[in-house]
Amino acid sequence: MALTVTLTLLEGFLQTIRLFILTLLFALPLGLVISFGSMAKAQAVRVPIRFMIWVIRGTPLMLQLLVIYYGPGIIMKSNVWGSGDTGRFIAALVAFVINYSCYFSEIYRGGIQSIPVGQYEAGQVLGMTKHQIFFKVVLLQVIKRIVPPISNEIITLVKDTSLARVIAVYEIIWKGQSFIKSAGIIWPLFYTGVFYLLFSGLLTLLFGFVEKKLSYFR
Amino acid sequence: MAILEVKNLKKSFDDTEVIRDISFTMDEGETLTIIGSSGSGKTTLLRCLNFLERPDSGVIRVKDEVLFDSDITGTVSEKDIRNRRLHFGLVFQSFNLFPQYTALENVTLAPLLLAKENTGIDLPAIEENARGLLDDMGLSDRMGNYPHELSGGQQQRVAIARALALHPDILCFDEPTSALDPELTGEVLRVIKDLAGHNMTMIIVTHEMSFAHDVSDKILFMDKGVIAEEGTPEEVIDNPQNDRTIQFLANYKNGM
Repeated sequence: MALTVTLTLLEGFLQTIRLFILTLLFALPLGLVISFGSMAKAQAVRVPIRFMIWVIRGTPLMLQLLVIYYGPGIIMKSNVWGSGDTGRFIAALVAFVINYSCYFSEIYRGGIQSIPVGQYEAGQVLGMTKHQIFFKVVLLQVIKRIVPPISNEIITLVKDTSLARVIAVYEIIWKGQSFIKSAGIIWPLFYTGVFYLLFSGLLTLLFGFVEKKLSYFR
Repeated sequence: MAILEVKNLKKSFDDTEVIRDISFTMDEGETLTIIGSSGSGKTTLLRCLNFLERPDSGVIRVKDEVLFDSDITGTVSEKDIRNRRLHFGLVFQSFNLFPQYTALENVTLAPLLLAKENTGIDLPAIEENARGLLDDMGLSDRMGNYPHELSGGQQQRVAIARALALHPDILCFDEPTSALDPELTGEVLRVIKDLAGHNMTMIIVTHEMSFAHDVSDKILFMDKGVIAEEGTPEEVIDNPQNDRTIQFLANYKNGM
């Protein structure tokens, strides 16, 4: 029994990890684009972007999943997400990417705006271009400052992936819970917690390592 | 021959006129010191020369090349602004070293980036030059240290080497010792005095009156955005004629 449960949970965990990795892959860069938008001088760019961030951060991810999955079908009378498991997974991924890129964008914005203006001015009087100042002077300092809040957000993402079950993406908790009905046992559900703990433990070690790597300067 | 000519420079922020009408010239190899109370426009003047602020009107000319003229309209490319700005160097009050680079890397970063754009520049020579400059600053044993491992005085000396590495025609200092403990002030002032001895052309904004007296060829006293008095240190500091200068210096002596 233990083996069957472990294998079934691993299958669900694979789905969890897939959602986790793909979300990061898209949301980390997209967040940077959104953060530039939220700092744009042009109001026509800045205001709508800030509005979107407010909506996304101000409503539950669970609600966003439901709206993104069911919304297009109700409004356009067509299923844009495709059918079956893949369609639901893509809808979940889109919802996660939108949600997390908004959170990331605010972390990036905080990091970028915390760099003293003197760093930019020093680069300017040394004849550096805007591009060189951003990539050679500012970027690494921003990364150093955002590692702690970003790692916090990423560890939250590990656990948030379980929300995808609301549109029937069969992630690990769904699989664990299924044993209650099929076999009348509850321990597989608790067992899922071990997977989360091990994985977030691994991430904690990884981010600790990155922080240490960047501790050579202040 | 004048190396720098500033004519009728004006700059306002919103409704406040910070620089009202400033004209002066300086010769190659001269040390010019600007004194005056806070808010008199000294720092803004330096920032205008270094293109960190755009003057509202006036002319800035270096070695007979017009760097800025408000009467000539039209956009200037970023590349042109960079080339013009390189006539000047600027040392900041708060050093503004790049924290993720060592002392040596702080000095070589900008020259190496510039060298990438122009072929035929000897890369090892850039590092050799940087080592020489840090050596002159008395930092030969600190080249591999990061800024946070250095004292304020050492950081400011790295910043001076960094500015010198680009061979500016005129090196500007914006209150270079104001962020330093009194005991670290001396080491930075000594370095600047040394540069003056080697005929580096310099503009220094400072509150160190005895230093200004020692090092300057010419002193400008600024008050409310205009030059209220100018002359040799003996004229301006020992024998001020303008009421505002007299009052400013008296406050200074009382504060000592």
